[in-house]
Amino acid sequence: MAAPFRKICLRLSSRLSPGFQAERCTIPRVSACLCSQATSPSAEDGRTDPLKPAQPEFIESKEDFRWVEKLMPRYQVPPIPEHPHYPTPCGWVPPRDPPPDLPYSVRRSRFSHVPVYERFSKGGSRKQTVIQHIEGDIWALEKELEEFLPAIIGRNPAIQVNEVTRKIVIKGLVMEEVKKWLLEKGF
Amino acid sequence: MASAGKGTRGALNLLKNLPRVGLTNIKALPGAFTKAPRRMGGKMKRKCGRGHKGQGQRGTRPRLGFEGGNTPFYLRIPKYGYYDDHSRRRQYPPLSLNRLQYLIDMGRIDTTQPIDLASLTVSRGVSINPKRQHYGINLVEEGADIFQAKINIEVQYASELAIATVERNGGTISTAYYDPMSLLILCDPIGYFAKGIPIPKRALPPEDLVEYYTSAEYRGYLSDPQEIQKARLALADKYGYKLPDLSLEERFKMLSIRKDPRQILFGLGTGWLVDMNRKTVLKPTDPDLLEFYKS
Repeated sequence: MAAPFRKICLRLSSRLSPGFQAERCTIPRVSACLCSQATSPSAEDGRTDPLKPAQPEFIESKEDFRWVEKLMPRYQVPPIPEHPHYPTPCGWVPPRDPPPDLPYSVRRSRFSHVPVYERFSKGGSRKQTVIQHIEGDIWALEKELEEFLPAIIGRNPAIQVNEVTRKIVIKGLVMEEVKKWLLEKGF
Repeated sequence: MASAGKGTRGALNLLKNLPRVGLTNIKALPGAFTKAPRRMGGKMKRKCGRGHKGQGQRGTRPRLGFEGGNTPFYLRIPKYGYYDDHSRRRQYPPLSLNRLQYLIDMGRIDTTQPIDLASLTVSRGVSINPKRQHYGINLVEEGADIFQAKINIEVQYASELAIATVERNGGTISTAYYDPMSLLILCDPIGYFAKGIPIPKRALPPEDLVEYYTSAEYRGYLSDPQEIQKARLALADKYGYKLPDLSLEERFKMLSIRKDPRQILFGLGTGWLVDMNRKTVLKPTDPDLLEFYKS
């Protein structure tokens, strides 16, 4: 079973149609100048060390190292390229430049996302929405949320402000609405 | 030690002379931790917490699961092989077109170069663990309506709509098999080069995967390129889009790059040895070795 299968694979891989060119990586052919030095370590010349190779064992190539450089892992978040129009196909919108004139600001995460997340605890029964990276007057943002949230989650929304860690926690899942609201503000 | 003294001066003296606070020289406040009390005296006398008569007090309770004689629950329910060979089943973690578009938009993937699992892993777009029966990625059609990029992508499994979406946008897609050893190299190439072993040949697919990777329908890497062209036209007819003519593209050369069936990484051939310290690539010259690696 193995032999005919291999033949099929080799036949198929070597067949190329003219309209569909494929660049295949090939092993370099040993050049003639290297071959000329090759003398088989035979019994004729007793002095030839049978363990020592007759020709250079390898060719060194610094140019091909560029392919290795492409495989180096990235350790930093790359800068986001310029797009002709926003939102981008995946839905990303950059922060407004210049930043909006408000007493607070909500800084983007390291991947340039609006920092609003959902949090589940107590076996999944406790559902909260967290807004992070709030700079400036955090209570001003809390006041605006008190006006914005009742339309979505009813009056007297439960909001917790943490001035030390610069977060606001809202009881309930309102991530999408809050994100959209912050984007409209320009953060 | 200097005189402890009282008040601020005493405290400052202490701070100057005492050693640095560490885990070896601090103690919790009294009452912070309580030991579980020994079961002695008072309530714990007489029956010693074992109840009154019966099997509980006499310590003759039957085995766990016994139900007094009727067939217990764990024997009533029939066996079914849900997890038979589960550790040998191939897994293809999904990569959605949504996520791929997001990675391209954020500039984490370079669309001017062919995309394979190595470039996705290096840019941390996907995480694949070959040691957990992962055999590659599965391009999933979630996000087919927002996908807009023109790419040359190589995956291990792709659904029909995903293939159609990539080709409709003027890209090319191929499916290729990597045996677990080659996948380890693909997912962590630098870690492999550091071992100082030459790049091995990629194995051919096992019997049950041959049909998949030789079919043009799934753009298999062992299939006939002419059949692939026919399949592209057929898919365009089926989904009702006009297939863009790739030969007119300036990126035609990049879009038609494919790896050799025995090759693992782009640009690096089988049998080559990468020297990370001296930043060179060593290629073998022995004709027997070259013959072996070409086969």
